[in-house]
Amino acid sequence: MKIRDLILKRITTLVLPFIQVYGFYIIFHGQISPGGSFAGGIIVALGYIAYATAFGVDEGRAVVPEKVTTYAESYGTLWYALLGLVGIAKGVPFLANKLAGIDVGVPGTISSGGLIALLSIGIGIKVASTMVSLFFTMLEEEV
Amino acid sequence: MVTAIRDHLPVLVVVAPLCVSFVLPTLVRRLRLAEGLTTLIAVIGLSGAGYLASLVLSGGGTSTVYSMGGWPAPWGVELVVGSAAALMLLTAAMVSLPAVLFSVNHLSQEVGSSNRAVWFYTLFLLLYGALAGMAVTNDIFNVYVLVEVAMLSCCGMVAARTDSRAAESALTYLILVSLGSALLLGGIGLIYIITGHLNMGYASQELSRIWQDYPRVVRLAASFFLVGLGVKSALFPLHVWLPDALSCAPSPASAVLSGLAVKGYLICLMKVLYNVFGGSLIQQLALDKIITVLGMAGIIAASLFALAQDELKRRLAFSTVAQLGYALLGMGLVNASALTGALFYMAAHAASTAVLFLAAGAIVTATGKKRVSELAGIGRKMPVTMAAFTVGSLSLAGVPLFAGFVGKWNLLLGSLEAGNWLGAAAVIVGSVLCGAYLFPVIRAAYLEPAPSDDKRQDPGWLQKLSMILLGAAVIILGVMPGPFLKLARRAAVDFIAVR
Repeated sequence: MKIRDLILKRITTLVLPFIQVYGFYIIFHGQISPGGSFAGGIIVALGYIAYATAFGVDEGRAVVPEKVTTYAESYGTLWYALLGLVGIAKGVPFLANKLAGIDVGVPGTISSGGLIALLSIGIGIKVASTMVSLFFTMLEEEV
Repeated sequence: MVTAIRDHLPVLVVVAPLCVSFVLPTLVRRLRLAEGLTTLIAVIGLSGAGYLASLVLSGGGTSTVYSMGGWPAPWGVELVVGSAAALMLLTAAMVSLPAVLFSVNHLSQEVGSSNRAVWFYTLFLLLYGALAGMAVTNDIFNVYVLVEVAMLSCCGMVAARTDSRAAESALTYLILVSLGSALLLGGIGLIYIITGHLNMGYASQELSRIWQDYPRVVRLAASFFLVGLGVKSALFPLHVWLPDALSCAPSPASAVLSGLAVKGYLICLMKVLYNVFGGSLIQQLALDKIITVLGMAGIIAASLFALAQDELKRRLAFSTVAQLGYALLGMGLVNASALTGALFYMAAHAASTAVLFLAAGAIVTATGKKRVSELAGIGRKMPVTMAAFTVGSLSLAGVPLFAGFVGKWNLLLGSLEAGNWLGAAAVIVGSVLCGAYLFPVIRAAYLEPAPSDDKRQDPGWLQKLSMILLGAAVIILGVMPGPFLKLARRAAVDFIAVR
C-alpha cells in the first residue's frame, strides 16, 4: 500500500507533531483533567497510524518495528503492577499512593497526583502500542 | 520480607500471575523459560492458596479484608479472603498446576508452534489471575472486569489450535459470551443506580432497605445477572457454545476451561446472588425456584445429550454441563447443606473433569482417535491414562470414596432438608446417567481386545505425573474431604447468614 500524494504527505508531516504533543499533553494531565492515559495513548497511536497510512506501511514499520510494540505492550502493563508494589515495599496496601509516603503536592497542579502520573505514562505506552499493533495486525490479516 | 508477603497475600495471588503473563509475550523464542515461569507461578499459587486456606481454617472462619490502595470499603476496592474465596483459590491452584505440567513439552505439538505455545501460557496466566481475583474480590464492578479478562483469555485458548473449527467455535463463544457481558454490566449498573454502592456488603445493606421501592428494577437486575453469568458458566439452556469450544481446544485448555473457568463465573453468580441480593430476597423474588428447576433440567437433559455423543471430548463437555446443574441445584435450594454440597462439588468436579479431559487429550494425541467406539483395548496400552480416566469417571458418577460422592451426598441431604424430592431424585438419576455414559468407555478400554497392530502408549512422564496428581487429588478429596468440606460448610453458612 503506497499513496503517491505530495499534499497528503506534506500535511501529515506538518500536523503530526501537534497530534503527538496533544496526545502526550492528555496523558500527562490525566490526574487533573478529563481524558487521561487511555485517551492520550490512543491519540499518540493515531498520529503514528496517520503517518503509516500516508507514507506506506513499510516505512511506518521501519519507524516502529514489531519488536518495539511487543516490548512496549508487555512492559507498559508490568510498569503499572510494579508501581503497585511500591506500596507493599513501604508496608502499606497495594497501589497505595499518599499512604506510601509519596508527595502528592498541591491539588490542581500537574505534580499533584503522586504515583498516578507515573501509572498514566505506563498505560499510555501500553494503549498506544496496542493500537499500533492492532492496526498492523488488521492490515496484514494475520488473524 | 516474609511478613510483607504474608500480609499482602490476598493481592499477591492475583497480581503475581498477571505480572508474569505481561512479560511472556516478549519471551516467544524462549519456550523453556516460559514453561518454567508458568510452572513456578502455579507452584507459588498453590502454596499461597494453601497458606490462605490454612489461615481461614485456623482462624475459625473469620475473613481477612484487604483494602486496595489503603482506601476503606465504600470508596475503595475490597478483597475478602473468607472460606468461599479460600476454597476457590485452592481449587484453582489444585487444577492449574497439573494442567501446566501436562502442557510442558507437549503443548507445541497441539497448538502448532512454540510461539503459539508461549502465547497460550500468557493467556493461561491471565485466566489464572482473573480466577483468583474473582475468588477474592468483594466489589461487583471488579467482578465485571475480571470476568472480561477471563472471558477473553478463554476465547484465545479455545482458538489456540490452527484449524478452522477451533476458530469457528471461538467466534461463537466470543459472540455469545459478549452478550452475557453486556447483560452483566446492565445488572451491575442497575444495582449501582438504586443502591449507590459497588461494594457487595454495602450494596446488600442498602438493597434490603429499599428494594420494595424498586421491585421491577431489582427483578430485572437479578435476571440480568442470572442470564449474563449463566451464559458464561454454560448453565443448561445457555450451554450451546461449550461442547464445541471444549472439543476444539487443546486438552490443557479444555481441562482448565471446564474445571475452572466456568466455576469462576458460577462463584461470581453465587456471590452476587447471596452477598448482594441475599437468601431471603432470592426467595421473595422466586429466583430460587427458577434456579432449582434449571439445575434439575440441566442434570437430566445434559446427561441424556452426553449419552448420544460418540466423540469422547464432546461427551465430557456435555457431562460438564450436567455437573454444573448440581452446583446450580445446590444454589437454588437456599440451605446450608445444599450449598455446602454445591461448593464442595464444584471443587470435586474441577479435579475430576480436569483429569478426564487430560486423559482424553492424551488418548487423542497418542492415537488420533476421538471416538468412544474406537477406544477398544486402550486400557492395557495406556495404563496410567486409563487409570486416571477411571478415577475421574468414578468420582463424577458419585461412587463412595471418590470426591464427587461427598458433594452429591451433601446435595442429597440438602434437597431432603428443603423437602425437594424432585431435586433428590435428579441427583440420583443424574449419577446413574453419568455412569451410563462414562462406564462404557472404561469397559471398552479394559475388556475389549485391542487391534493387533497397536503401538499406542502412555504420554511422557510429566503428562503421566500431572494425571497421577489430579487422580490422587480426586481420591484424597473423597477419602479425607476434611479441610475442603470444612471450608465449603463455613462458606455455605456465611452465604446463608447474609440475610
